[in-house]
Amino acid sequence: MSGFQLVNGLAGLLIVTSLLVITARRPTGSALFYALQSLVMVAIFLTLAGTVGSHELTAWAGTSFVTKVLLVPILMTRLLGRIEDTKLGSGERIPPAVSVLLAAVVVVLCFWVVDGVSLPAAAAIKPALAVSLSHFFLGLAAIVTQRNILKQVFGYCLMENGSHLTLALLAAKAPEVVEIGIATDAVFAVVIMAVLGLQIHRTFGTLDADQLTNLKG
Amino acid sequence: MINLALATILTPFLGAVLVALAPQPVAKTIGRSFAGLAFLAVLTLAISFARGGMVATERALLAYGGVEILGFGVDRVSVLVAVAVVAIGLLVTIYSADYFSAGNREHADIGRRRFWAFILVFIGAMAGLVFTSTVVGQLVFFEITGACSWALIGYYEKPKALASALKALIVTHIASLGLYVAAAVLFLSTGTFALSAIGTLPAATKTIVLLAILVAAWGKSAQLPFHMWLPDAMEAPTPVSAYLHAASMVKVGVYIFARALMSSNGAPEIVGWVGSIMAIVTLVYGFTMYLPQADLKRLLAWSTITQLSYIFLALSLSVFGSQLAFDGAIAHIFNHAFAKTLFFLVAGSLSYTAGTRLLPILRGVLAKSPILGIGFVVAALAITGVPPFSGFFSKFAIFAGGFRVGDAHPALYVLLVVALLESVGSFAWFLKWIGHTVPGTPSETMAAAQPVPAAMRLVLGVLIVMAVASSFIATAWLG
Amino acid sequence: MVPSLLPPLMLAAPLAAAIAIAILPARDGGNRTIEAVHVASGVVVALLALVSVARVIGGADLVAFGGWLYVDPLAAIFVGLVGVVGLLTGLYAISYVRHDVEHGELTPQKHKIFYVFFNLFVFTMMLAVTANNIVMMWVAVEATTLGSAFLVGLYGRRSSLEAAWKYVIICTVGVAFGLYGTVLTFADGAAAFGDPEKAVFWTSLMADAGKLDPMLAKIAFVFVLIGFGTKAGLFPMHAWLPDAHSEAPSPVSALLSGVLLKCALFVVIRYLAVTSRAVGPEFPQMLLMMLGFLSVAVSAFLVYVQHDLKRKLAYHSIEHLGLIALGLGIGGPLGIGAALLHAINHSFCKALLFCSSGNVLMMYGTRDLQQVKGLLRRAPASGILLMAGALALAGFPPFNVFVSEFLIFAAGLAQGWWALMIVTGLLFTITIAALIHIISGSVLGKVPETVPVGDVGWRALAPMWALLAIVLVLGVAVPQPVAHLVREATAVVLGGDRSAAIAAPWQTPAEPVAELAPRAEPRI
Repeated sequence: MSGFQLVNGLAGLLIVTSLLVITARRPTGSALFYALQSLVMVAIFLTLAGTVGSHELTAWAGTSFVTKVLLVPILMTRLLGRIEDTKLGSGERIPPAVSVLLAAVVVVLCFWVVDGVSLPAAAAIKPALAVSLSHFFLGLAAIVTQRNILKQVFGYCLMENGSHLTLALLAAKAPEVVEIGIATDAVFAVVIMAVLGLQIHRTFGTLDADQLTNLKG
Repeated sequence: MINLALATILTPFLGAVLVALAPQPVAKTIGRSFAGLAFLAVLTLAISFARGGMVATERALLAYGGVEILGFGVDRVSVLVAVAVVAIGLLVTIYSADYFSAGNREHADIGRRRFWAFILVFIGAMAGLVFTSTVVGQLVFFEITGACSWALIGYYEKPKALASALKALIVTHIASLGLYVAAAVLFLSTGTFALSAIGTLPAATKTIVLLAILVAAWGKSAQLPFHMWLPDAMEAPTPVSAYLHAASMVKVGVYIFARALMSSNGAPEIVGWVGSIMAIVTLVYGFTMYLPQADLKRLLAWSTITQLSYIFLALSLSVFGSQLAFDGAIAHIFNHAFAKTLFFLVAGSLSYTAGTRLLPILRGVLAKSPILGIGFVVAALAITGVPPFSGFFSKFAIFAGGFRVGDAHPALYVLLVVALLESVGSFAWFLKWIGHTVPGTPSETMAAAQPVPAAMRLVLGVLIVMAVASSFIATAWLG
Repeated sequence: MVPSLLPPLMLAAPLAAAIAIAILPARDGGNRTIEAVHVASGVVVALLALVSVARVIGGADLVAFGGWLYVDPLAAIFVGLVGVVGLLTGLYAISYVRHDVEHGELTPQKHKIFYVFFNLFVFTMMLAVTANNIVMMWVAVEATTLGSAFLVGLYGRRSSLEAAWKYVIICTVGVAFGLYGTVLTFADGAAAFGDPEKAVFWTSLMADAGKLDPMLAKIAFVFVLIGFGTKAGLFPMHAWLPDAHSEAPSPVSALLSGVLLKCALFVVIRYLAVTSRAVGPEFPQMLLMMLGFLSVAVSAFLVYVQHDLKRKLAYHSIEHLGLIALGLGIGGPLGIGAALLHAINHSFCKALLFCSSGNVLMMYGTRDLQQVKGLLRRAPASGILLMAGALALAGFPPFNVFVSEFLIFAAGLAQGWWALMIVTGLLFTITIAALIHIISGSVLGKVPETVPVGDVGWRALAPMWALLAIVLVLGVAVPQPVAHLVREATAVVLGGDRSAAIAAPWQTPAEPVAELAPRAEPRI
């Protein structure tokens, strides 16, 4: 089994984990599954690094491990462990089964789009590339279909992971500093969104995005 | 020469700034004096222009890397019209100082600084529009007069007045898109904004530019389909109506069209057809709207619309080659300005003294107040074109010019006959109201009227004289 | 390209100020030292920005940090805006925030937080417009959201928290699209040039745009347009904008509308330049034109139905950003030059208006136009400023918006978009009515008896008079340096040879414009 095949296989696993993130009942559960997903991402980075011989990517896997497997999930669990909105329930606008179906549609569409790309670097890893693109849109779908604002934050995390993976797949030798910039920024974004979420929970007593209806028109 | 033109334009603007800075009680004095200074400037300009043999000159003032953005020019037409707008501006400010007072029976008021500032800006902007030699200049002054007219029409700040003011602004602004198109097309095809460049355009482009200007002109001059703002604008204080809706704002339209034709070096006939047909349509429509009016000011508004149609008709006839019609149009701009201002100011004096403008309850004006009675009669006869009053001469020139070009274009005869019929009809209608209002014993309202203040009487006197004399001045000037 | 210390200094000043303010203690009634640091930072940034602009006009493109920071004429326009509008709104903020502290709407702690984030916000915007590294460009735009989110939610009310949340979630998600577009562009460049180090710089992408994969370049542009277009407030990604603009403290609203939207637009313009070179201008221009026109059309009606002064102004921002996008979409030297000029004009004009709305809030304590009456009689200076600003925004001469709107209109006609431009002109008539409603309803009229007479202090009025002066000067005649900058920036966008600068037509009258922009057949 070549390195690229392994990458493609692991990418498939990503879809599964992101579905878990979306359908988890509680935000802390999402945080756990997000850590798991990030671990898969790190594995992909390492495999890729070995296959194409990119030491940048190895370093990259390291920073990703620190920020995404450890930092973000721990921060989120610490911040969110204390707050809950029992009335909201899972806060899904659509049932999990429909979510899965939707995800399948997204993945198929993304495979179709990626098929049109003629970049030589992408030839061997088109399935993984399609997965990274669909990942991005799955994150977007999560934000749209979830009422729990904390789960919307995880939706953003998925989008960010998707773009991150695309970057790794298409430009394995990107300068390290590019990656660091993206990673830190993402961490800041997550933290700030979580802090705002906390403030909203304190003021409104709910995490339901549909309750934020003071401003209209 | 150009410096005098500039002085005419800038003096009122300076006055407006001073009014804004000075306390309210002196606003009146500043307003009158700066209108007076502007009049002195334009009078000096007219005299030295006439002495210098009436040589047209032009100067670019603001150029951008060689593109003339703003420039001014003086010639026979611009000086004549400028004298009218500035002189009437002065007369209106003199009149207004007494009109805006606690003694006014219809609208007691103190004459806020807003009025004085905006009327001065208006005088300056009108002078600017008349003297400018570029399309952008026209556009700028066009929009400034629009904004000022909004402030002046809505002066009393009643909801209805503000709504009418907004209507005037929006309708004329929509029409101004025509001027935007004209400026853009002219600029894109010739790389300049100078009006004189219209003459160098190829026929198709020239047609677009002229028609676009015509649309903008319809807007300001309240012609169909943009007519509806003018009758509503009668919510304005009457001196404002006198100035905006007789002498200046409504003349912006006909003036820019006249300028464009002058610069066009022979306009395509299609412009003449569009212009004259729309003029006749507006003329007939405007006449039918005379009939239901009881408010003197609204009647005057519709009469203004039809008189402007005559000017459009005349300008359109000139497209077919009649210089006589063109001169008639310019003379009519000049004559109508004085006559209609007189009529509006008579209406204003009636509301000042008697507290109403409703014709049915105003009777026996002559007996109570001779100057108002005479003013009413003179204004009505001048507007309907009865000799020896001014309107007759300019209308005569228009019809004479029209029949001359009618030989080559028989369809024009039809239009002219319609216009003649309207002329007779409006004479009859005004005669009816003269008979009703002027002679006889004063009605109850009129009997209780207070005397007209001296300054207002003076202004009415001057305008009565001008209602006879203006056409002679115009004829002598245009040669 | 000239190595220069100016860009790093411009970034260091607000960052240092933010850190210094964070360290300083908060005091009752607001710490005056904090205000002094804030003003010093504003002045320094503005001066450095103007010096940089002057050097760029002098013909030197400034670079620093091995090409990471880059100020060319295009960037210089926006550097100047960040510097000048940042300073003026920053000065205005002092009396505004003091007022809020005195009336108990902000705690001393919040007073401090305001200045920390205000300076951070300026820093992030400056970073966005000086970035040459496209990844850093994205990072900076993302950071502007994060920096200003707390400013939007500063008052801690339910509505402001809601606005802050919408702002953060919509903009981060939007800008995630920007990230994807950035990544695609970078990957595309890395593969095409065979040198990842090079592909990260906009300058090298621009130089070798021809080598990019056309399909990827198109996809990337779509992502970039959605992403940064969200941040620029273009329809249909505009939902955050009215909320954030209306809930933020007024000086921040001025900065958001006047500068932040333009920074996002700046990024779009950078990508427009690259994409036009890679796949030809038709594709990106068509997208910009569509989004621009839709933004104008939708917001024209939404403006009209608002009763909240700041929300009304916010919808005006959508409309004018739409008009800028439309100008970019029309393209050609005239279209792009006019769009850039409009970006400048709108910044100053809108900053003036949002500061006016701040005066209204300070005096009436409400933004509801149905309750604000008689501003002119109560406070003549504020009344005149609001009236002038509204007339300026409505596009009346002799104010600046008139000039650039006319040029965009002319550019549209030059390219044959007759129907489109006339419809746009009519749509703008609706907004004139909306602005006139503000004047007739709130500036004029009688003062309610409950409201005491008196204006805000000179500290608030002085920066506004300065803004009005700029609006007037730009309206009467575009000063040579500005025109020069716009022309050079246009050449940058069109990717032309700048030594033989592609002139916007109002600058080279000698040759008829028709030759520069050949007349097109009318299009629908």
